[in-house]
Amino acid sequence: MNPYVPVGIFLGVAAVAATAFVLVPGLLARRKPNPAKSEAYECGVEPTSVVGGHFPVRFYLIAMLFVIFDVEAASFYPWAVQMHALRAYGLLEMAAFVVVLAIGYAYVWRKGGFQWR
Amino acid sequence: MPSTLTIPWGNADWNAILPLGVVALTPLLVILADLLLPRSLRRSVVLALAALGLIYAGFLAARGWGHPYSAFGGGFVTGGFTIVFQEIVIAGALFSLLLATHLGRDDQAGGAVALLLWSASGAMLMAGAANLMTIFLGLELLSLALYCLCGLAARPSAREAALKYLILSSTASGFMLYGMALLFGATGSVQLSAFAAPAASPMLFTLGSGLFLIGFVFKLSLAPFHIWTPDVYEGAPLPVTAFMSVVTKAGALAVLARFAYAALPQANAQAILVPLWIVAALSMIVGNVGALAQTDVKRLLAYSGTAQLGYVVAALAGTTSLGLRYAIFYLVAYMFMNLGAFAVVALLSREHEEGSHLSAYAGLGYRQPVLAALMTFFLLALAGLPPTAGFTGKLLILASSVDAGYAWLAVILIVGTAISAYAYLKIVLAMYARGAGAPLQRALHPASALPWLGVAICAIATFVLTFYPLAPSDVLPLVK
Repeated sequence: MNPYVPVGIFLGVAAVAATAFVLVPGLLARRKPNPAKSEAYECGVEPTSVVGGHFPVRFYLIAMLFVIFDVEAASFYPWAVQMHALRAYGLLEMAAFVVVLAIGYAYVWRKGGFQWR
Repeated sequence: MPSTLTIPWGNADWNAILPLGVVALTPLLVILADLLLPRSLRRSVVLALAALGLIYAGFLAARGWGHPYSAFGGGFVTGGFTIVFQEIVIAGALFSLLLATHLGRDDQAGGAVALLLWSASGAMLMAGAANLMTIFLGLELLSLALYCLCGLAARPSAREAALKYLILSSTASGFMLYGMALLFGATGSVQLSAFAAPAASPMLFTLGSGLFLIGFVFKLSLAPFHIWTPDVYEGAPLPVTAFMSVVTKAGALAVLARFAYAALPQANAQAILVPLWIVAALSMIVGNVGALAQTDVKRLLAYSGTAQLGYVVAALAGTTSLGLRYAIFYLVAYMFMNLGAFAVVALLSREHEEGSHLSAYAGLGYRQPVLAALMTFFLLALAGLPPTAGFTGKLLILASSVDAGYAWLAVILIVGTAISAYAYLKIVLAMYARGAGAPLQRALHPASALPWLGVAICAIATFVLTFYPLAPSDVLPLVK
């Protein structure tokens, strides 16, 4: 049997299932809307604004910085698990990584990247 | 008790990427200098640091000549081929720095120069990359920094350039990644050296390498993937345009040449290479015809770059070792004549206006005879007239492509050259035409005298290389 056959079957099942999940509720569900039901669900908190509204472009910087420091935290985990096995080499690698990141951090700080302008 | 992992590479491997490492680490010093120094010193110190780092890296790279070595499990190969391309990248970056006295506002200069160096380190990685992973790493390092640099100028066309470059270049990267995946599927390896053996599935291999080549043809802005080039060149700041026109192309050409020379299996080489020669032929025609209608020197040089790279790829036709040497020679000649023209544009620029529109050249022959003469010299070199390195380079490419049995490429090269002469001479005519409107009586107010240094070096090199066509031997792209 061609080794790709299972992959093909999986793709087929995924496509059929996904289509069904989207279409079937629209066909079968009963509709009894009321204001509380139509509201956007925000963990039980009263929504304060429109869902599809605009938000300030300033968030792009925050999002970008978040991704950078998130990736940084993520790359610490595998090192922490293997720290003893990697010995001084791993420690040096991580130190170099942190130094590079710290210089970037200082740069963003001094250039006012953390200020809400 | 955890077992000790052994690190699969040692000192020799780190030594192999030392020049690259220097170029990648210098920006950290540049950024620190930018943060700590007073505003008045900043720009000059930043430029000096960057230049020193590049020159040091150039020495380190040259030291490795004649010692081919395959580092990081075959991911990065040093040797003649890598070193030649790394030196071209370093020289291109240095010339761009000479023009960078205008790059961004004062508080942006440090970041911009740092990005320029990081971009150069990506191109240096591409010069030695011998597996698909390092190729992609180098390419993205090169491109990501350039997206930011393109949008640096405070004008709408800069934002257009940055966005256009980001979207189109990412699409090309997507094509390339898909091609890489198919190549891996066809051969079961990411090493270029593994591709030389006949693939288990030739169809998959041809498809994969086709998609892979599309990515690089885009980066080289060869026709029909050149449409983005004029807009991006026009919008990007002048030093960045100069940088892109040499460094990006040197990096992409290194990968293309390594792929064509070292990786293609003999069995289906022709099926893959024929499209490449067609692309080269198209570029020579489309680039030169497109240059005819331009009234902006940066746009003109964009189309010119498409055509010039077409000549370089034509030299690779037949994948002979002589062809590769002549391609490298032409790339070096192109670097000097092209950057010389960019340096002249930099000298004509002012604080808020780049001297790239044709009107800035009206009557220049009477206002600035020396500068106009040098610009004429560079344009004649780009057109391929003697006594310039452009002439010698084209002659050698003609010889090698006819020799390799690609006479039709040689014919197209000659036709393209004839068309291009008109486009270049249009600027010369504007500089020396008398009476066509009152020439604007304005003196030169360049931000600094540094571009003069660039003009002088480029002019001397373009002249000297005419008589000494230094085509280094020992440059075959070994992949081991």
